[in-house]
Formats: sequence, structure tokens, C-alpha cells
Amino acid sequence: MAPGEKIKAKIKKNLPVRGPQAPTIKDLMHWYCMNTNTHGCRRIVVSRGRLRRLLWIAFTLTAVALIIWQCALLVFSFYTVSVSIKVHFQKLDFPAVTICNINPYKYSAVSDLLTDLDSETKQALLSLYGVKESRKRREAGSMPSTLEGTPPRFFKLIPLLVFNENEKGKARDFFTGRKRKISGKIIHKASNVMHVHESKKLVGFQLCSNDTSDCATYTFSSGINAIQEWYKLHYMNIMAQVPLEKKINMSYSAEELLVTCFFDGMSCDARNFTLFHHPMYGNCYTFNNKENATILSTSMGGSEYGLQVILYINEDEYNPFLVSSTGAKVLIHQQNEYPFIEDVGMEIETAMSTSIGMHLTESFKLSEPYSQCTEDGSDVPVTNIYNAAYSLQICLYSCFQTKMVEKCGCAQYSQPLPPAANYCNYQQHPNWMYCYYQLYQAFVREELGCQSVCKQSCSFKEWTLTTSLAQWPSEASEKWLLNVLTWDQSQQINKKLNKTDLAKLLIFYKDLNQRSIMESPANSIEMLLSNFGGQLGLWMSCSVVCVIEIIEVFFIDFFSIIARRQWHKAKDWWARRQTPPSTETPSSRQGQDNPALDTDDDLPTFTSAMRLPPAPGSTVPGTPPPRYNTLRLDRAFSSQLTDTQLTNEL
Amino acid sequence: MPVKKYLLKCLHRLQKGPGYTYKELLVWYCNNTNTHGPKRIICEGPKKKAMWFLLTLLFACLVCWQWGVFIQTYLSWEVSVSLSMGFKTMNFPAVTVCNSSPFQYSKVKHLLKDLYKLMEAVLDKILAPKSSHTNTTSTLNFTIWNHTPLVLIDERNPDHPVVLNLFGDSHNSSNPAPGSTCNAQGCKVAMRLCSANGTVCTFRNFTSATQAVTEWYILQATNIFSQVLPQDLVGMGYAPDRIILACLFGTEPCSHRNFTPIFYPDYGNCYIFNWGMTEKALPSANPGTEFGLKLILDIGQEDYVPFLASTAGARLMLHEQRTYPFIREEGIYAMAGTETSIGVLLDKLQGKGEPYSPCTMNGSDVAIQNLYSDYNTTYSIQACLHSCFQDHMIHNCSCGHYLYPLPAGEKYCNNRDFPDWAYCYLSLQMSVVQRETCLSMCKESCNDTQYKMTISMADWPSEASEDWILHVLSQERDQSSNITLSRKGIVKLNIYFQEFNYRTIEESPANNIVWLLSNLGGQFGFWMGGSVLCLIEFGEIIIDFIWITVIKLVASCKGLRRRRPQAPYTGPPPTVAELVEAHTNFGFQPDTTSCRPNAEVYPDQQTLPIPGTPPPNYDSLRLQPLDTMESDSEVEAI
Repeated sequence: MAPGEKIKAKIKKNLPVRGPQAPTIKDLMHWYCMNTNTHGCRRIVVSRGRLRRLLWIAFTLTAVALIIWQCALLVFSFYTVSVSIKVHFQKLDFPAVTICNINPYKYSAVSDLLTDLDSETKQALLSLYGVKESRKRREAGSMPSTLEGTPPRFFKLIPLLVFNENEKGKARDFFTGRKRKISGKIIHKASNVMHVHESKKLVGFQLCSNDTSDCATYTFSSGINAIQEWYKLHYMNIMAQVPLEKKINMSYSAEELLVTCFFDGMSCDARNFTLFHHPMYGNCYTFNNKENATILSTSMGGSEYGLQVILYINEDEYNPFLVSSTGAKVLIHQQNEYPFIEDVGMEIETAMSTSIGMHLTESFKLSEPYSQCTEDGSDVPVTNIYNAAYSLQICLYSCFQTKMVEKCGCAQYSQPLPPAANYCNYQQHPNWMYCYYQLYQAFVREELGCQSVCKQSCSFKEWTLTTSLAQWPSEASEKWLLNVLTWDQSQQINKKLNKTDLAKLLIFYKDLNQRSIMESPANSIEMLLSNFGGQLGLWMSCSVVCVIEIIEVFFIDFFSIIARRQWHKAKDWWARRQTPPSTETPSSRQGQDNPALDTDDDLPTFTSAMRLPPAPGSTVPGTPPPRYNTLRLDRAFSSQLTDTQLTNEL
Repeated sequence: MPVKKYLLKCLHRLQKGPGYTYKELLVWYCNNTNTHGPKRIICEGPKKKAMWFLLTLLFACLVCWQWGVFIQTYLSWEVSVSLSMGFKTMNFPAVTVCNSSPFQYSKVKHLLKDLYKLMEAVLDKILAPKSSHTNTTSTLNFTIWNHTPLVLIDERNPDHPVVLNLFGDSHNSSNPAPGSTCNAQGCKVAMRLCSANGTVCTFRNFTSATQAVTEWYILQATNIFSQVLPQDLVGMGYAPDRIILACLFGTEPCSHRNFTPIFYPDYGNCYIFNWGMTEKALPSANPGTEFGLKLILDIGQEDYVPFLASTAGARLMLHEQRTYPFIREEGIYAMAGTETSIGVLLDKLQGKGEPYSPCTMNGSDVAIQNLYSDYNTTYSIQACLHSCFQDHMIHNCSCGHYLYPLPAGEKYCNNRDFPDWAYCYLSLQMSVVQRETCLSMCKESCNDTQYKMTISMADWPSEASEDWILHVLSQERDQSSNITLSRKGIVKLNIYFQEFNYRTIEESPANNIVWLLSNLGGQFGFWMGGSVLCLIEFGEIIIDFIWITVIKLVASCKGLRRRRPQAPYTGPPPTVAELVEAHTNFGFQPDTTSCRPNAEVYPDQQTLPIPGTPPPNYDSLRLQPLDTMESDSEVEAI
């Protein structure tokens, strides 16, 4: 014999392949109920009386149903979060601070670009409202009179119109004086709800698409809004054609804007600020930007350990039509965040000291599958056109800009350029304005789908600000302070500083308490399993072992018994066909259905009953069978059962 | 006697052992335990046996692992938070008001006279160097100047900067007219700080002259004020009836007498409303301006110390009762000529303390002596940081800084007694190491309270009402029929609770012992259907195991020594009955029909065999042969 076969035989001997022990399904069930560790099943078998048995069946099934229901609840509530709030007193990173002058470009530097536009605006103001130029401005720019003869460029592009309430659908082009019929829709920027005073005159402008058949007219309740919007449209158009370097040169330099700078008890200067050119605010300067090698941090709270700057706001250089307020804009943001200065910036007044006390709150959300947020924006189908970390606003603007390039063929001026696109201007895109307005309306009404595509980011830092104002400089110190500041700035400015030219800004941590709001999974796999265990144990004292038992009994044994039955039947049928009148088959059948062995599911007896000829086992009771006790047991049990049944029936 | 008998019995019992072998023990355990796996190991065929053995082992490992995870989670002391917000009647916050200028200039003029002249001269030098400088210098007091002079650093030649003393004649400078060639373009103003009798010097550079001059002046003023007795300083500040003109709390009138004075070195005399130190704190039961505090203050801007306070306004801070107001760090400004309305929301975070988070309940476990304990206030981390700084200051410079309280037996720094103090102080103030040590030594307080403010402002008094308001206020304060106040000096404050006046975030342990036990039970139940009793069972078995092992070892040792075959019996030789009992004790007897739990119903069947013949381990032996017999028959059948 080969060694392999030897081993095979040994395995066969030691680990024989056998079917289930129970001969019938009923036996199997009985055996399972008697032997399982699960509570309830046993009760079904041992209960006496039909009612009790039924009750126990009902209880057991209810318990099973409850377990399934509770476990389903546990599974469905698996992805919930618990929130924890922690406070840490520690050294904190100072945020990036972006400071801009509200006026984007020095008026003296851009006036040659804007002369035509300004003179036309002045004309419009004069003829519409009878506004004469103030004395101060006239000496600054003396060009408007010279331009009388040249044909107006800007009114031709977008005419300013005056509407009269009583004659609907007619408007007067104020420049030519002609009345013209207005077709198409009129969009009132001033909604009907906001009628402050029933003005007879409405000012607006008309935007038309290429073929001028499709026009939209925008009217405003106040001439201020109309003129500013109209001016802004032209301004953006002009500025879109100016190269970036030139624009940076036209705007304020860091040395000019920042008179003094003090951080964490140390002097700082313009070198600590990085330039950031904003299309609508010109040169902005960011303190503590990511381009610095190390992010500055503070280890002390209080105003003298924060950033203290004095800003020079030169009101003489303000553009009268573009901006109507004086001061600076400040934004506190993260180092890698894009400063949306026009949206969330804070305004700083001149001749004031503005103290901004900060409290830092950090929030962390759990991303998928807990909530719909994104860690870094990589799973959002919008390309980030900003050179900054992902945020919801960046996503929305990128989405809009991309749509703009798609629909109108050019990019909007106040947002960065997507690759392979250029800013809109009249020379190349004569009808961009109309397109932009239409698209913007659609964007606001959430028709572009940007709002549904963009997700919020999962973690963000928030600085809660407490702003307070005080008069600065104080009356007592005004004299000397202005003198010294003039000396400080004498390199840039050759004039005596006035207190309305200056603004003081203090940004500091009130205390170094950092609050972190963190989401953490409320459930883990361990918790889920132990909750399962708790449920299974509570209702049925069941465990995974029971589940395996159930699988074993109900799926493996059950089917193998059925299969064996069928196999035997088939075998019998085959045998009968081979030798039709056979006496052997009934005997073997008898062996299988032997009543004495039927209820006995003990292994060897059963097998012997199955496999051995029936004669020795059944006919000779005299020989001492090893399972004497068990036999008697069963008998006793069955007799008892019949007894109870009898009593029940009686 | 009975005790001795009992003990002897016990000893005999111990010596005899549990009376069964390892195998019997195991089989008995597997058969009778309530844990779900083991039962299956012994009552089925060998293949299933192996499978069940592996499964049981696997599940036992899983349970152990999960238990480890849970215990680890429990020991990480996590907290969960609960948030509550709404409106309730609460103590109105303590309100501290100060003036931006620490002293009335008219009252401190005599102290600052020399410094003022010097400052004027310095400004003259910087701004207009060419103008006459000889006529003024004669009257100047150069002792304070020479201690820490201001210098001009000419950086027009970056490789070789030239240091110019502002008053060239007083120090070793070769340039006769120092400022004349240098006009802010390339020149920076710096402060020279020297220590060790002027041998070790450093320059503190400033990018703007404004800062340099201000810092220099503050340093000099600190030196002067630190030599003045505290009670005199209080007299030089603003008196309560001068600064607080009108006060109304809810509908109750109040006056400056309701304010507790406190001397704060930065801002002079400060006044605290509702501090709760001597009397009970006032509650506010309604939201809105009408139920809050209304104050009218006069800051007297024209009497400001010109170089100390360049910002004009009232300084105020809201804080909890019985806490020290660190107004320099956490205060806000209120502007003159305006009405400032402040809506208050109390934001409170209650921590759990050790071991959940490293915070301190009352500061008793912080290694730094709280210098603010004299004020009878509660612990706060600001107090700790300031105390820590003063501690370092005294350690390094051997004198205390004027801005912080003094520990017992120490003196404030001044130029006369401690000539190196300025150098020492500024280097300490800039030192990152010092700050970080203090930060690491101080613990945050477990209860973090913040008053969130919503600030809004309006012009006040209005043009129409300005006249009579100023008249009435002047009349009340100075009993004069003329207007003694100006719009630039008066501040109106409204402080009130918002509609939601509190937001409390409370920490509670996320995982308590009940949580741990129920999860341990859940895991054990899930994998093996076990409970604590099963563990006790298991422990019992292990004790039995050890017992058997010990007895066996003892027996074998004895046997080796005596070389007697009867060695297994230790102690008195057992009687036959004992032997029989040992083997036929049906409590420990594995039964072939053990898979049927109701086998025990008929125990008398077991005792049927004649007790006289002791079949050693017959039953347990029978287990194996039976199986092999079966398998044999099986093989044959197949």
C-alpha cells in the first residue's frame, strides 16, 4: 500500500464522512429543540398540552421577530455621529489678515483710462439730476469740457434710459433725447415691495444680445444704483483690457498703505505682507500668508500681542463713481483660504481705532457616509480655478465662471480666469453683458446646478470676532502723533497727514482658548456587535454559536436528509426495476422505519439500524445493548407524553 | 476541638484532591457549562468535534479582543457633550468700566514734567533736526534719558549702519548734528537697552518712529509710576463720581456707590458693577434694554496723558462674578459721543475635570502661586499666566513689573534701584521660552465662561438733544450752570441680556462603567452566549486543574523519594468506598448520552451496577472505543 493511500484510509477511519444523524426531519427538529442553547425552542418540545405549545411557539417567534427588528434598527442607525466640544488653551496660529483699501486704484493713475467714462457719467448726472461738479473735484480733473465734441462711446454701447411711470413701454434716451419704444421684458431691480417713494422717473439701462432683438431692461428705483451699476459695467470692461502688472502699479503699494505695523510686541513692515491683487479692490496685502516660511503664532492674548497697523487711506485718490464709502476692508481667514474680500470683508473707518478680538473655533465634520461634505474638494466635479484650498464659495464661483466661459465665451472680470479663457470686453464679446446678467439670474435661482454640485468642506476654522471702536487719535495726542506719522511716511507721501487719512486696526486673540467641535462616529463595529449580542441574549439567550447551529441544522442537515431520502427512494426504485419481485427491499425499508429505533436519534443505534441487517438489532432483545439507558429513557418519555396528552384530552 | 477536627478534615480533603482526572474534568466542564461552544465539542463526531473546537477557540479569541477594545475605549475617558440654550433668570454679568487714560494729566503733571520736556525735545529732534536744539537741551533732565536713550540708526548704507544718538552732545557720537542728514528715508529710530553698567547693550529696532517713541515713553512712565505709592496713584486716577455720571439698572437707579473700585495699572481706577464680592449679585429676569444696565460715563478726553493714551474711549469688560477683570486682554472700547448697545449671551462650557480633560477646578493643583488671590477672586488661566510672568520677572530681574501684582516682600522695578530692569524686562517679554513654560505650567479652568456680545452703535446725544443733555449732566456733576462736558467726552452704554441669554455646553462621560459592562456582556453573549457565571465556572475549573496538578506533583515527588508503588495515595490509604466514590461519582461522570440533558432525570440508573466491583474509569474509557467501533462499522458499511 502506498503511504498516501494509508493516510487516506486513516483519515477515512478517523474522520468518516457521514450524513446527519437524524433519520427524518421531525427527528432532526426534535433533536435541535432539545439540544440547542437558545431558550424557547426547548420549551416548545417539553411543554405539555397543545395550548402551551402554541403559546411557546408564539413567544419564540415573537422573540425572533423582535431580535430581527431591533438588529435592523441598530444597523440603520449605525452611521450616526456624536459631537464633542473641547477647549484647549494653547499657543495659537495667527490667522492670515488681508487688508485692502476700499478704492482699488489711485484715481490719478487710472484717470487717463477713465476720462471718457467719467465725463460721460458727469454729463448724465448733469442732465438727469442737475448735479454740478463739486469744486474740489474740478481742480483735480479739468478734462470733461474738452470732450464735448467727441462722440460718446459708452452711451452707445449701453444707453441710460429714463422711464416715465405714466407712459408704459416708452423710455427716453437721455443722451439723444429721443423717445424709443421698449420691447422685451423690463426687469425692475427695485422690486415692487420696496417702493419707498413713488418716483415718476425711473432710470435704467437696456442690455441686448447680439442681434438686438432680445433685450432686457433693468430699471432701478434710485438713480444712485442705476448710475453705479452702469458705471461698474463699463469700468469692468475697461479694466479687463489692462494687463495685470499695470494694474498693480496703478494701485497702492504696501509701503504706502501700511504706515506702521506691530506684531506680537515686535516691529514689522511691508515685507511681512504679501501682495494679492483683487480685481475689484486692487492691491490687497495679506499678513502671515502661506508664502511665509513659518506661520506666525501668538502665545499671549491681548491687543499688544496681536497685529497693530495704522493704515493710510488717501481719500483724495478715491474714484467718485466706483466707491462711495471711505475706509479699508479687512478679512481674517485661514492661510490657504482664498480671501473673498467683497463678500465677507469687514469695513474699517478712518480716524478710528478698530479693535477686533478673536476667538477661534475649529469644526470637524465626518465625511461620507456620515454627511455630505468633502475633505479637499477632489470628489466635487468642479475644477477649482482659485489658487487656494477648497471651500464652498470657491466651488460656487468656479462653477459659475466655468458656466460663464461655456455660455458667453469669456470670463467674468471679478473672478480668476479659468485655463484658456480671457476676460470679457466689448471688443471681442459685444453682448457679454446681457449673457452675464441672464446667467447670473439663473445662478441666483439655482438653475445652473452649481448649488447642488458643490458640497461644503468638512473642516473649517472660524474666528468669532468682537469689534469695538474708539476714537483715535485722542485729542490730547493728536498733535504729536500726526507729526510723527507724517515723518514716518515722508518717504511715500509729501503732505501733512490728516487724521481722516488714517485708520488704526488691532487684531488680536482675546484669549488663547481654542474650541474644537468634533464629530466622531457614535457607533463602531464592536459596539454594533455587542449591541447585537445584547439583543440576542435578552430575547433568546442566543449567540453566534446558535446561529451556526441554525445554519447547520436547518440548511445543511435538513437538505441532506431530504437528499438522502430522495437518493434512497431512487435507489429503491432502481433496485425494484432491476429485480422486480424482491424480498430484500421491504426488509431494508422496515429497518429504516423501524419503530423501535425511529425515535432514537442516538448515533450508533441509528446507524446500525440504518446499515446493519435488521435482524440482530430488533429481534434479539436479550443481548445487553450498550445504550440500555437511553432506550429506556425514550420509552419513558414517549409514554409520559401520551399520558399527558390523555390527561389533557380528558 | 471541633475547629481542629474540621481543619483536619479540610486538610484531608485537600490532600485527596478533587477526585477526578483532567479528562473527566474537561468533559464534565464542556458538558455542563452554559457557554455555548464547548458542549458541541464533546457530543458529536470527530469531524464536527474538530470544527467546533476551532470555532469555540476562535470565538473565545474574538471575545478577548473585543473586550480589550472596549476596555481601551473606556480608559480613554471620552466625554460627550450636551447643549442647552434658552432664557433664564441669571445673575447680571459683572461690568468693569475704565478710562483709556490711566491718570488725569492735570494730577500727574508734576511727576511727568521732566519726561514731558524730554519727549518734546525728542520729537523736535526727530521731526525738525535743523531747528534750534541748543536752547532746549540745557533744561533737560538727562538722568532718565541716559538710562535708555533713543537712537537713530542710519541704514542708508546697509553694510555699515551708523548709530546716532539723538542728543549728540550727551553721548559718544562723533556726528555733531545727528538728525540733520537723516530724514526717515533711511533712518530708523531704535531704543538702546543696556545692562551690567552699560557694557552690554542691544538695540530694540522699530520700523516706525511712532512706535519707538510710544514704547520709550511707556517704559519711562512705568519707571516713574512704580516709585509712587499705590494709594497716591489711586488719587491721581479718575474719581468714581467724575467718571460715572448716570446709572440705571432695570428700573432701579444706581450710582457710583454701587461700583467697586479696583486699581488696574494699565487703566488707573476701574469700577466694577455687580461684582458680587460683598453683596449678593443682581439678577436680571428679562431680556431687552429696559431691564439691563444703562450707564453714562465721562471720559474727559482733554485731560488724557498725551503720550500714554493715544486712543480715546471708555474701556469695558463683562465678566463673571468674583473673577478678576483682565481688561487689557479681553476688554472692548466704547466710543465717545456714541451710544453703545451690547446684547449679552452667556456662553458657558463646563468641563469634567480629571481624568477626562486636563483642566483644574479651582487652581489648587497648579504649581504657580496665584498673585491675584489677594482680590479674593476665582482661578483663571489669565491670572495664572500673569502670576507666572511676574514670578519669572522676580527670578530673573529681582524686581516685579509694575503691571502685575507683587508677591510679598518684593519691590517694583525702577531705574534707581534696578538699573538693568528695562533690558531684563524686554528680553523676558520677548522670550518665547518664558511664554511656553508658563503656558505649559498653567492649566485652563474647567468652567470656561464667555460673554458673547452683540455690539451696535449710534450717535449720542443727537443734535437736537445735545444741548439739554449736556446741561443736565454738567449741572449734576459740577453744580455749574455752564456746560462743562463735551460731546467728545461722554459715552452711553446699554448692556442687556439677549432673548436667548445662555448657552451651556456640559460635558459628561461618554462611557461609564455601566456602558462598559453592558458592552462586555453583549460581546460575550454575542459570540459565546456566556455570562459572568460562565467566567466563574471557568475559574473553578482552573482551580481544580491546579489542584489536581499540585497533588500529582506532590505525589510523584513522594513516589520518587520513597520508591514505593503505592505513591499515588497520599495520606491515609483510602477506603474502598472512597475509591468507588471517586470513580462513580455520577456528578462528574461523563455519560455517553450526555447530549441529552434529561439524562440526569434518571440518576439511579447509574448506580445500578454492583458497587462492589470498581471498574476504573469505565465510562470515560467507553467513549473512545465506542466511536472507533462506530466508525469501523461505518467503514464496513460503506
